[in-house]
Amino acid sequence: MTETPRQTRPDPDALLSLAKREERGRLTVFLGAAPGVGKTFAMLSRARRLQAEGIDIAIGLVETHGRAETAELLSGLEILPRRPMDYRGKQIEEFDLDAALARRPAILIVDELAHSNPPECRHPKRYQDVEELLEAGIHVWTAINVQHLESLSDVVSQITGIAVRETVPDRVLNEADDIVLIDLPPDELIERLKQGKVYVPENAKRAIEKFFRPGNLTALREMALRRTADRVDDQMVDYLRQNAIEETWATAERLIVCIAADTTALSVVRAGSRLAVSLNARWTVVHVERPDRPVEGKDLSFVDEALDLAVRLGAETQRLIAQDYVNALLKLARNEHATQIVIGVTRRNAFSRFLKPSLVANLIERAEDISIHLVTVQPRARERRGQRAIATKPRSELVQDLGMSAASTAGATLLGLVLNSLLPLPNVSLLYLLGVVIAAIRNGYRAAIVTAVLSALAYNFCFIPPIGTLTIAAPHEVFAFFVFIIAAMIAGGIASRVRDQARSAGERARVTQSLYEFSSKISATVDADEVVWAAVSQLYLMLKRPSVILMPRQGELSVHAAWPPDTTVEIIDAGAARWAYDRREAAGSGTGTLPSSTFQFRPLETPQGVVGVCGYGIAGGPLSSSDERIFGAIIHQVAVAIDRARLSKAAMEHTAALAGERFRSALLSSISHDLRTPLATITGAITSLRQFGENMDPATRDDMLQTIEEEGTRLARYVSNLLDMTRIEAGTIEPAREWIDPSDVVREAAEMGRRNHPEARIETSIADRMPLITGDAVLLQQVLFNLIDNAVKHGGGEPITLYARPDAGDIVVSVTDLGKGIPAGELSKVFEKFFRGGGRSDGRVIGTGLGLAIAKGFVEAMGGKISATSPAVRKRGTRFTIRLPIPPQPDLERENR
Amino acid sequence: MSGHRILVVDDEPQILRFLRPALNAAGYDVIEATTGTEALSKASTQSPDLIILDLGLPDMDGKEVITRLRGWSTIPIIILSARDREAEKIAALDLGADDYVEKPFGIGELTARIRTGLRHSMKTDAIADIIQSDGLLIDLVHRTVSRDGTSIRLTPKEYDLLVLLARHAGKVMTHRALLTSVWGPAHAEDLQYLRVFIGQLRSKVERDPGTPRLILTEPGVGYRFAEGS
Repeated sequence: MTETPRQTRPDPDALLSLAKREERGRLTVFLGAAPGVGKTFAMLSRARRLQAEGIDIAIGLVETHGRAETAELLSGLEILPRRPMDYRGKQIEEFDLDAALARRPAILIVDELAHSNPPECRHPKRYQDVEELLEAGIHVWTAINVQHLESLSDVVSQITGIAVRETVPDRVLNEADDIVLIDLPPDELIERLKQGKVYVPENAKRAIEKFFRPGNLTALREMALRRTADRVDDQMVDYLRQNAIEETWATAERLIVCIAADTTALSVVRAGSRLAVSLNARWTVVHVERPDRPVEGKDLSFVDEALDLAVRLGAETQRLIAQDYVNALLKLARNEHATQIVIGVTRRNAFSRFLKPSLVANLIERAEDISIHLVTVQPRARERRGQRAIATKPRSELVQDLGMSAASTAGATLLGLVLNSLLPLPNVSLLYLLGVVIAAIRNGYRAAIVTAVLSALAYNFCFIPPIGTLTIAAPHEVFAFFVFIIAAMIAGGIASRVRDQARSAGERARVTQSLYEFSSKISATVDADEVVWAAVSQLYLMLKRPSVILMPRQGELSVHAAWPPDTTVEIIDAGAARWAYDRREAAGSGTGTLPSSTFQFRPLETPQGVVGVCGYGIAGGPLSSSDERIFGAIIHQVAVAIDRARLSKAAMEHTAALAGERFRSALLSSISHDLRTPLATITGAITSLRQFGENMDPATRDDMLQTIEEEGTRLARYVSNLLDMTRIEAGTIEPAREWIDPSDVVREAAEMGRRNHPEARIETSIADRMPLITGDAVLLQQVLFNLIDNAVKHGGGEPITLYARPDAGDIVVSVTDLGKGIPAGELSKVFEKFFRGGGRSDGRVIGTGLGLAIAKGFVEAMGGKISATSPAVRKRGTRFTIRLPIPPQPDLERENR
Repeated sequence: MSGHRILVVDDEPQILRFLRPALNAAGYDVIEATTGTEALSKASTQSPDLIILDLGLPDMDGKEVITRLRGWSTIPIIILSARDREAEKIAALDLGADDYVEKPFGIGELTARIRTGLRHSMKTDAIADIIQSDGLLIDLVHRTVSRDGTSIRLTPKEYDLLVLLARHAGKVMTHRALLTSVWGPAHAEDLQYLRVFIGQLRSKVERDPGTPRLILTEPGVGYRFAEGS
């Protein structure tokens, strides 16, 4: 099987990255070992050739550095205007990204990839401009010297002794579509330099001395050659993956690089990067934090900086929190199938090695099959952790600690003296120990140590003979004294650690509690607006920073919520927000995009895409790691909640649409049936009259005319029913809320019933003193008429009775027939639209199935209730009951009576 | 018959097509107009005795036509309205229309309204001293009311309300019109007065208050005093 390559399916990731590349512009990098090798020259010569072939090529930016040969090549090529801007009082001209995007040449030349932009620009680095151009589908040619590659900058500094400030992440080169190596042997380069072809003459000498030494140049040349060769390899590997030739794809090495929160972090990341590149391995940089020792302030910035660098160098990053450092690291390594761990070690003196068993030793012991690489690094002495900790502690705390120490020592001494005078104590030292523990619990480790020292002195002075001196007479007392000091220190240390742990546990519990409350609060809301308002106020509460949430509204991102509410978002902030939204990455302060914004924005990501961005005010520096976790947790929950709100809205709309759909189809079938019948009757009767009227006797003619009139009326009622139903469905019923006399309405409805059904017996029974109610007389009358109409249809010719009376704060109006009644199973359906009860025995069409649905819709619109009871009287009939609340009766002014 | 001239304003040819022969048969002359502008011009040049006006016109709001007509004329106006345009109908009545008929309508209903309208316009000058209807007698000179010879005691407001309705017998009176006349413009919206007083009035003047024959309710619009027979 291993002999013939298996034709398996191409790796989807590889195809995807190919597809992405196809719509992106192609990046061609002209790589050189040092300035002056002729990158710009090569680039421009090539451009001229292509231009001659009719290709649309333009120059975004090229620096000639006063080189005549280069300047000559520029003539005849289109050079885009630069953007003038102020930088530290100087007038400078920069590459104009927006002009280039607007011009959209097929190929754009942007020299000096490693350049840093002034703060006014959109991106701090030129390579980011280039990435945006590529993203826009423009092919870019650019040039860079190998010393500017991030992973090599350390090595280059070591070799040449010159610090490299402007760096470009390695991934930019790795993702370039073509690399053109511009090579020149060192001797020739130095010759060119001497001839003044590289820099203008006055600068040349200094440059030669510092940088262009043959040794340096050889080393740099080797690096450039190797990087290019690596790239050729990579392209081979890519090709193999895309074509699914699996066997050659060796099992990948996987690297974990572990950093500490100090000055060594950056060096460890760079070392890890070099190792990863040489192994062609994927790598992850991790920082492990202990829950009881949160990393804050300066230390945090070391970690942030190192992780940023790691991302630029192409690593994945993780922040872990674990009590057992070694265990967490190994667990991560096993999960990621890592084969190697890189860890930095500092040289330590014998005493500290003795006190703390080395982490590294522990790690090696438990690592089993994982190789451990040790990178020796030396932190800068003045920034060592302990010293800084004391220096940064506020003065007031120092005073408090000293006060606490003095007070507990004095207290213990006093208590000892008093007790000793009452009954001699053999172990007064225990009292001092108590003081040390109290100081440790209340003020921490430092207060405990100071108290221990003070206590030792006071103990010696007041209780150890000879009393009143700091000398000790008896040898066994000397021993006891030292035991006391050691015991005090240990007890103080333990007590203060317990205190610190309790504090941080308490703090974490509060954070957790607060997050939990927030989460349950927003999970109860389905309104996206409420969610975002809750989120910004929660963020402000927990982070003490202004927070904003922007969401798209008609294509534009606009502020949906901000806390404090007067927080404003400037144009530059809006630009950063837009970037975060479009690119799904952090933007604004502290990031690579628009860092002069006063906010940092993060996308609110859901499985359905980005729903908005959330920003926090940057005053006060970057977030601490614990705040970062809070921020992350909140925005994650917000994104999920917004997503849920949208889904539930969509679901509601869908349900409504479905109901609307059902209504429409029922409506159609109703129209086709109920509208046609009367129309057919009318048309038939009229045509009969026209054609045969003369042959008919007057009684027949009259009956036909009456049929037409009746059917016309029926049609009119049906149309107005449909109209009413549509108004109810559309929710456009706005009942009048005026005073009405219910007895009047009941009488009118009965009258209307009698007019429409002269054959029916309709009786009313209205209580004598009916209160007024507020409502809509027309709607109420329509409701009652519909009920009467229904009663006539189902009443079997028996009398119909309308009752009206006040009852328990309501007006109760009922319509009762004495027909067959409604079967129990149908009682709940009578108010449904288009429901028709059992037909009359004579088989005539009995109605539209809308009357009762309209009655219910109108009554509910007036704030009343309607119900049906069957059987109503002596096992017969149906009663419909309406209840409407009686409001406080109007007060009529006496003079108007 | 009487030869009264009626201006019918409606943009629906089908309506005009049956109204003209029907009204002719009832003895009226018919002038037609299909737009608001045409209606206003014909109302001023051809001096009709009554106008039937559809509120939905192509060129202007029917209410606008009423307002302009009322600027110079007291000619009776009967509006044709749709049942679902309740508010528009009441607004038109408050602007000065005399009565309304809802579409679809029977011709009998329309001719009854026309007769009432014409009668009121004829006798606007001569105010009778005595109004009689269904056994009820109102003596406007002595301000007394009696039924079948039995005197009825009314409060001043009840009396005012009854006279107002009876003077416009057959014609709908809107809530607003009644409230403004009897209680003053400040009480134009105080429907509760009307509800209470109509109830009281009915219990005093109706033969059977449970089945009113004199003071009829026009739901949502107002009241109408039954025409004496």
